[in-house]
Amino acid sequence: MPDRLEISGLTLRVRDRVLVQDASFQLRAGEVLALVGASGCGKTLTALSVLGMVDLQPGVVAADLVVQVGDEVHRPWQGVLGADQRRRDQAFAPVRGRLVGYLPQDARNSLDPLLRVGRQVRDAAALRTGNADEDPRPWLRRAGLPDPERVEQLFPHELSGGMAQRVAIAQALARGSRFLLADEPTTGLDPTVQRGILDEIRTLARDGIGVLFITHDLRILPGLADAVLVMENGCVVERTTPLELQSGELTSAPARRLVEATRRVAAGRLG
Amino acid sequence: MRALAIPRRAERLFRRNPAATLAALWLLVIVIMGLVALLSRYDPITDVHVGQAELGPGPGHWLGTDHLGRDVLKRLALACQFFVAPGMLACLVSAAIAIPAGAIAGFEGGWIEAGIRWVFTVVASVPRFVLLLLVLSIYGDRLYLLAIAAGVAYAPTLAEAVFGRIEGLRSAEYVLANRAYGVPSWRILWVHLVWAASRRLVARHLVTLFGYYLVLETTLSYIGGFGVQEPMPSWGNMLAFDWGYSAWYAPQVLAPVVVLWVTIVAIAWVAETLGGEVADA
Repeated sequence: MPDRLEISGLTLRVRDRVLVQDASFQLRAGEVLALVGASGCGKTLTALSVLGMVDLQPGVVAADLVVQVGDEVHRPWQGVLGADQRRRDQAFAPVRGRLVGYLPQDARNSLDPLLRVGRQVRDAAALRTGNADEDPRPWLRRAGLPDPERVEQLFPHELSGGMAQRVAIAQALARGSRFLLADEPTTGLDPTVQRGILDEIRTLARDGIGVLFITHDLRILPGLADAVLVMENGCVVERTTPLELQSGELTSAPARRLVEATRRVAAGRLG
Repeated sequence: MRALAIPRRAERLFRRNPAATLAALWLLVIVIMGLVALLSRYDPITDVHVGQAELGPGPGHWLGTDHLGRDVLKRLALACQFFVAPGMLACLVSAAIAIPAGAIAGFEGGWIEAGIRWVFTVVASVPRFVLLLLVLSIYGDRLYLLAIAAGVAYAPTLAEAVFGRIEGLRSAEYVLANRAYGVPSWRILWVHLVWAASRRLVARHLVTLFGYYLVLETTLSYIGGFGVQEPMPSWGNMLAFDWGYSAWYAPQVLAPVVVLWVTIVAIAWVAETLGGEVADA
């Protein structure tokens, strides 16, 4: 069986509000799976559930997550649905970072502001190898940062948004994550930098990492995603491909609405 | 490479903040004197030379002698031993109690936070000086007991500071991100929150505590009864002992006041610099 990350029947509820309803998908190694939808449709919550990071009460009420890498199989949600943070942390400890990494939207604020970049990448590598004096520079270089000797000496506030995102990628590489949840990693970056980061993510997939790529920007999907999941109001309404999205062969109304809105913004016609 | 980097860094530090650098150097001298004095075999009895009482400053006695003919400069230096090592002990005790307690209270929240803060509030509700006099009168007048008691008495202040810092950062984005990266909780707490985010705060409080202990020891020794007793020297009892034998402006009388004042100001400068600067380590 190839490496896979599979979640089925994910349902998230706070009091009587349903935030995610019966979401299921499978992510395979080497694949970029895009998760698209309007803001507030439950994309980020879905990703956070894969890491057991949903701090809502009662929060995740149903989910079966299977993370399989080689002969190693983990089903961390089993027995900790509705449990407190400590028990969830324990159940997800073998999965978080080690098997499933995370690329945050705001990479700069997701780095410790008081530690140098090199130290933080080294710590990520040390978590994998147990060796405290790993060299962070190869990872920075592999994440596409020129001049790692200079970058490793910087503090996060000295990084640009694109550099910070590459540092986050370097951390994931150093950590050795097999899957990566990328939560709008290019939002707020200028198109050139965006392109660079997307190329980097494509390279990661070519090297065998499975990427769940969350975005609301359909324009970046061609050339990036192998498959696209469309979410609306907490439900996965369609599984499609970037090509179908472009050609408009869509079965569901929400997907058509999303494509139509994107076209109008791109053409400069609002309203 | 590293050995070369240190003087360059010291030079940069000095140019940016000359007052604090000089203050830190002065404290370094005091601390070294205190530790060396601990090792010295000073015999206060054979040091008395009544024939050489109340000499003015000169080549043999740079600051003159007191009314028992003892060299004032030597006794000033020897007096450092009674607050340097005990002051450090007070810092150690305070840090050992307050950092883990404040950190855990701030990180865990809930009933753990409530319990820890309740204990510290009880300790802090007794005025510090009264608490220390109480300890000394019950358990006897020993310097190291005073040091430990001062450390305990200061612990609520330090713990509350650490608690506040860590509670404020507990849900910071980078803490959540590190949790998502699979960084263990103990590492997030001790590396990111205590070491990276609180160490300057802690350093400032410990320097302040050292200053507090110095004032405490010299005050008790000046008043007499508790603290350092004649014939052993303290900056406090030297001032009291020679008072009235010379004019108030004589170096013998003025010297203990001046070194005490300079040291306290130096401590305040260093503490302020530690508190006011962003991380640079």
